[in-house]
Amino acid sequence: MAEWSSKASLVCVALVVSSAATAQEETSASTLYGDLQSVTQNMLTRAAGDGNNFLHTNGNYAQTRYYPASQIDAGNVRNLRPAWIFQTEIVDTMETSPIVVNGVMYVTTAFNHVYALDARTGRQIWHHKHAMGPVTTYCCGPNNRGVAVAGDKVFMGTLDAKLVALDAKTGKQLWETQIAEAELGYSETMAPSVVENMVLIGTNGGEYGIRGFVKAFDTETGELIWTFHTVPEDSTGVWATHDATGRDMMRDIEAEKAALASMGDPYETLGGGVWQNPAVDLETRRIYFVVGNPSPDLDGSLRPGDNLYTDSLVSVDLDTGEYVCHFQYIAHDVWDLDAVSPPILTMVQDEAGNDVKGVLHGGKTGHVYVHKADDCSMIRFSEAMVPQENMWTLPTAEGARMLPGANGGVEWSPMAIDPQLRLSYAINLHQPMTYTVRSTPYPEGKLWLGGSFDVIADEEQWGNVTAVDYDTGRIAWQVRTAEPMIGGILATAGGLVFTGEGNGLFKAYDSSNGAELWRFQAGAGVNAPPSSYTVEGQQYIVVAAGGNAQLNYKRGNNIIAFTLAD
Amino acid sequence: MIRRFSAGLAAPAALAALLAAAPAAAKEDFVLEDEVAVCTGCHGEAGVPVEPDYPVIWGQQYFYIFTQLRDYGAGRRQNDVMTGIAAEYDRDQAKLLAEHFAGLAWPDIPSQTEEGDAALAEKGITGGQCSACHGKWQGDSRIPRLAGQQAGYLARTMEDFKTDVRMNAPDKNSTMKQLDDATIAALSRYLSDLDIQ
Ligand code: HEC
Repeated sequence: MAEWSSKASLVCVALVVSSAATAQEETSASTLYGDLQSVTQNMLTRAAGDGNNFLHTNGNYAQTRYYPASQIDAGNVRNLRPAWIFQTEIVDTMETSPIVVNGVMYVTTAFNHVYALDARTGRQIWHHKHAMGPVTTYCCGPNNRGVAVAGDKVFMGTLDAKLVALDAKTGKQLWETQIAEAELGYSETMAPSVVENMVLIGTNGGEYGIRGFVKAFDTETGELIWTFHTVPEDSTGVWATHDATGRDMMRDIEAEKAALASMGDPYETLGGGVWQNPAVDLETRRIYFVVGNPSPDLDGSLRPGDNLYTDSLVSVDLDTGEYVCHFQYIAHDVWDLDAVSPPILTMVQDEAGNDVKGVLHGGKTGHVYVHKADDCSMIRFSEAMVPQENMWTLPTAEGARMLPGANGGVEWSPMAIDPQLRLSYAINLHQPMTYTVRSTPYPEGKLWLGGSFDVIADEEQWGNVTAVDYDTGRIAWQVRTAEPMIGGILATAGGLVFTGEGNGLFKAYDSSNGAELWRFQAGAGVNAPPSSYTVEGQQYIVVAAGGNAQLNYKRGNNIIAFTLAD
Repeated sequence: MIRRFSAGLAAPAALAALLAAAPAAAKEDFVLEDEVAVCTGCHGEAGVPVEPDYPVIWGQQYFYIFTQLRDYGAGRRQNDVMTGIAAEYDRDQAKLLAEHFAGLAWPDIPSQTEEGDAALAEKGITGGQCSACHGKWQGDSRIPRLAGQQAGYLARTMEDFKTDVRMNAPDKNSTMKQLDDATIAALSRYLSDLDIQ
């Protein structure tokens, strides 16, 4: 009896203690983490110094993908372990950049599913599945690259060319806007960006003869505020004969002029998609983005002229969408070696060695281009990060071999920088291809490449991670990977860069010298950009492992968060 | 193209010739069940087509079926049988047919893979970058489902692209020219044996 009663009292005590602990945890959960926190403009503006949240697709408005937390560093990264794994409903290509707000993570999957997760545990808070329309027209997989957050809302672009706003707390849809006509080849895979009362978004469709744009929509209502057409009504340009690096592009200017005279300006179906987020400069109230290839990709005969502003860095006014400046890398591109990887704003050395505000872009050509933010002009371009051969050989009816292949170089994968080391980090593909041209008229919403890019199946393919000193254009270090790289990269103040591979490996490198410090096998292609965040004083690295449709890397459905083992 | 239907298919061929003579505007007295009954004569009572080189259309993507019917009708996709049939329907009628067949369950097609198919097929898929559009072969909207499609039809339609017979997806002609006949045959068998997840 005595024994029994003492045991019972012990149990009672234990119960009281544990329920007290639960109550405390719940209190802390509702005051500190997991509760909805409105994302203010101030938070978005100061994101570059925020070591708790990850508020923008590319980390901050300058798109540096440089995360300021340093708990995980070169000395302890070998102790990095999975903290949790979340499995989504969709086992398919993943390109999402996880966004983290006060311990709540937002991720997306192929076919526009959105999940809110507890960033400490991976527990699902809500799941939103977009009601997809019957018509979608997209290139390169049913991808989605993530959400934007602002106020109490989460924003996403969809494959059926809509912009949707969801309630951040419940995942319920608040409004949706049709951005453009899905039947004509417009679709959305990029994450939107939010600045003040505007949601900014570009469009896919350069493979379908669209007319590209960046649009700004009202965050509250979804109403259109402004449109910048990436292809102006006069798309002719200056009849440039050489590319940004000074190589002859073998254009037949006389033939093009004759074609222009007979067919007129091709601007209505000239392509010029914008696949990735703009860098935002709130000081000058300008945004910087890159514009993709002209349509049809390989057939220049139907689109005489420089095809402005395809294959260009473009800056427009944030408030009005009015043109400010541009720099075209390749005029009249017939190789789809366009501009996709999002530009980065950072201080760079100009020709005279002075620090000026600059813009970096990693090209499919394999060069990192360094620009003056002021007038978009190019200061320098880096050494080529991948082999280049036969540039610029024109596509032929039989297929002409040229390197890089049409996926790059640097594909859509965002770069990162370390502003202290003054290095940019890019992931690259080496994928030898032949370029074949075959002229066909505009097919009204069907794929319109004007030929084909074909991987030479017998030639070796590989990838690399390359650090470039953007003040000199020299390669600082380079690490070869077994397979062509697509996805993204993150640099941290802990002296690390993180990036994944198609074979499932997710690795950490020393950002100063490229030494591999840690690796993890995710079981499916890690082809999405990593993010980082800190909750309860614990830093995490998170990445999606869902493989890739374009390069046919093994599909999966995992979101994996890593933290240091105790 | 006669070769395709010379294989003892007098009834459907005659039917097609009859239908080809019909007017091109909206079909009068359109009753969905009656039209569907015509289709089943070739595309199968339970979704398994009556000939190995006829395509499965049960459970195919709605927008793809619609686009193909429109393309046949307008002569963008040329085929002795289907051109005449599809030319009879207007947009809305084509939509009704597409909706009907997209809503049915995809049938099981007997497997025919041979040893070595997978390796050859995967090489072709890498070379043609097929997965960039076709993903996991399940189809989506204007992209057809290929997983579990009839091998005979897949082989023929790929050959038709290669030889510029089928012209309603212009870039496929260029892509298919890069694939040799053995790869096309292996790819067809490989795809016909796939399921969707
Ligand atoms: C006489 C036989 C026959 C009849 C009847 C017929 N089809 Fe077909 N159908 C074919 C053949 C053969 C093809 C492949 C033609 C080609 O290669 O272009 C085809 C192709 C198609 C396709 C394209 C499939 C793909 O995967 O590209 C669609 C859609 C289609 N038929 C729908 C219909 C519908 C709807 C009907 C009824 C209104 C119908 N067919 C009646 C024989 C027939």
